[in-house]
Amino acid sequence: MSNPLLIFWAQLFGHREPARRVPARAYIESSSQASSTILLVMRRMRAPLITLIVIFSVSVVGLTLIPGIAPDGQPARISLFEAFYFMSYTATTIGFGELPWPFTPAQRLWVTFSIYLSVVGWAYAIGSLLTLVQDRSFRQALALRRFTRKVARLREPFLLMAGYGRAGELLAKAFDALGQQLVVIDESSDRIDALDLGSYHADIPGLVADGANPHHLSAAGLEHSSCAGVLALTNDDETNLAITMSAALLRPDLPVIARTISTPIAERMRAFGTPAVVNPFDRFGEHLHLALHAPASYQLLTWLEAGPGGELPERGRPPTEGRWVMCGYGRFGREVTADLRAADLEVTIIEPAEPDAPEPGVIIGDASEPGVLAQADLPSAVGLVAGTDNDTTNLSMLATARRLNPQLFLAARQNQPTSAALFKAMQVDALLVPTEVVAHEVYAQISTPMLWRFIQEMPAQGDRWAADLIQRLRDNCGTALPALWKIKLDREQAPALGGWLAEGRVPLGDLLRSPEARERRLRVVPLLLLRGGEAVLTPAAKTVLARDDELLFAGQGSERRELESTLVVDSTAAYVLFDQHIPASWVWRKLSRKNPAPSTLDDRGSMTTRRR
Amino acid sequence: MNLEKVIFGFFVLLAATLNFGFFIGDIDNPALHNIYELFAALAVSLIATVLKFGDRTQIGAVHLATSLVADLQLVAAGVVWIWASEISASGMTAAHTASVVSLSGGALLANLVSVVLLVIETVTFHRG
Repeated sequence: MSNPLLIFWAQLFGHREPARRVPARAYIESSSQASSTILLVMRRMRAPLITLIVIFSVSVVGLTLIPGIAPDGQPARISLFEAFYFMSYTATTIGFGELPWPFTPAQRLWVTFSIYLSVVGWAYAIGSLLTLVQDRSFRQALALRRFTRKVARLREPFLLMAGYGRAGELLAKAFDALGQQLVVIDESSDRIDALDLGSYHADIPGLVADGANPHHLSAAGLEHSSCAGVLALTNDDETNLAITMSAALLRPDLPVIARTISTPIAERMRAFGTPAVVNPFDRFGEHLHLALHAPASYQLLTWLEAGPGGELPERGRPPTEGRWVMCGYGRFGREVTADLRAADLEVTIIEPAEPDAPEPGVIIGDASEPGVLAQADLPSAVGLVAGTDNDTTNLSMLATARRLNPQLFLAARQNQPTSAALFKAMQVDALLVPTEVVAHEVYAQISTPMLWRFIQEMPAQGDRWAADLIQRLRDNCGTALPALWKIKLDREQAPALGGWLAEGRVPLGDLLRSPEARERRLRVVPLLLLRGGEAVLTPAAKTVLARDDELLFAGQGSERRELESTLVVDSTAAYVLFDQHIPASWVWRKLSRKNPAPSTLDDRGSMTTRRR
Repeated sequence: MNLEKVIFGFFVLLAATLNFGFFIGDIDNPALHNIYELFAALAVSLIATVLKFGDRTQIGAVHLATSLVADLQLVAAGVVWIWASEISASGMTAAHTASVVSLSGGALLANLVSVVLLVIETVTFHRG
């Protein structure tokens, strides 16, 4: 193509589209480029704006060049300013008429031409602008920009939640109730719409984005100094692995909690730092194990994991001996079977597909067919687990099994959130909803680290202890789970106790008295005492507290405020602990010289002055 | 050869030449300064501004800034001209002409900077 004309021709008509197309992915790639959306508008508005300017100039100049006739009959042209004024109101369809004097036919001819020209120009310009506003990539860029700005402005610690499915929604509600800020990304725009529609106290920023893309994670605040943790809760194990990886490499200091249902993926996740991996099937097996051995412990566990306001679940009584029937031997079935066998229970497996390695006690067949279930000899079994990945199959198995043996203990796996009502109507004895297991587990791990410690140490305490604790919680706080809160006995949170703690004069039981009448005990239950890494569950009333002890309590907010006033106000603390009334002000205290413990009060006095 | 560059250079240069054509001549003599030339300079300068939209480079940003300055000066000159010829009782006096032309002189300076930038851009351009 050596001929310049040919080159010109090719440039003009050959590649029009590619020259104007803006790379759509370029500005999704990084958050900094999202700020250039305004440049994108301007770039795409170039052609319409130039068209408009040219049309305007041509019509204005043309109008001044055409001779007209003034009212006095003399030929006169209208000036550039008049022409500009006329074209402005004509082109914008305002139309004040022929100013400053009536036009000649020649002028009208030109005006007719310019009107059509200007209408085309305006239509082109406005049309381009509207197309741009409708443009998907443009809207995405705008949304990303708004989201990035919102996240960057967050000043309180927040959790980055990737994946807002059923588990994400449950968790978001629980954390919102605790006042914990969240940032959510999800691949599906429907889920982000659901987040926007959800009734939350806080404004939770949400973005439609792929969590596996590190740029999106950093836009969602992975590198933000207030980011307190990362939750990888998408339905896709690979994506969760990618999120875990990005978080571990970019912010190794952050806690990561990832969900997976596959053991190999869990292993690969653990190769990056120390993420807490939640496998709902695995956890259900452990729960079932716990439920078989210690029903009360299991009841306490599910209650504490349910989050604030959760109702006390009923205590199940699963049969501890006898034969179980396991329907569906997939990943879930294998986990549960292993746990049941570990509990020395006999298990009969019904599996529609032939396993690679035949195992003893496996019946091949579709368990939803009554004939196959009959082979399993249900009347002599004690329990049945309906664990296929199809809710309809699970429900029909449950119905058949109950007809064959009404005494059976029925456990089921619920796959779809829409089936919840059906399973509820079925009244199964144990129900696994994987998403809820994940939500409860993550809640327990993140809400307060002490609750997680408590849950881990709890099974070792035995069933009797758990039953007693449930009774205490019910007596003090009712059947709805009270708020769990922790207190650290340091100078920040317990300035009033400073000296007495060091002297070992603060027993827990005396601390938990009402500041109004010390005969009344506060209706709070101490769950855990943490001292230098050593945990004591449900510390006794006579436990002597020391400085820097951490305590986890369960109790209503009003009781919590009373306890906090004891911890902060000197005179209240003296009354609650020693039944002594000391003046609240320093002057009266010096005048009265009535000290319960002279050395400690001086110590505390100097401490408080230092604080102020 | 890049058609976009041709059009861009054409309008930048045309804005400068038109502006120069209006500016040259005795500063207070209305007969030497054609108002159509000012109008053309303004229209071309606006087009040049729009052409500079959406360029992310540093030199593109300076280009846009100089163009905006030229537009502002030319619009100011146009407004003074309208005031003098249509509104004020005395019409186009020598003083009015002088202010219109000096405002366009400021725009000329901005346009010259634009041209210098264009030349710099061309000189520093290395093909692969």
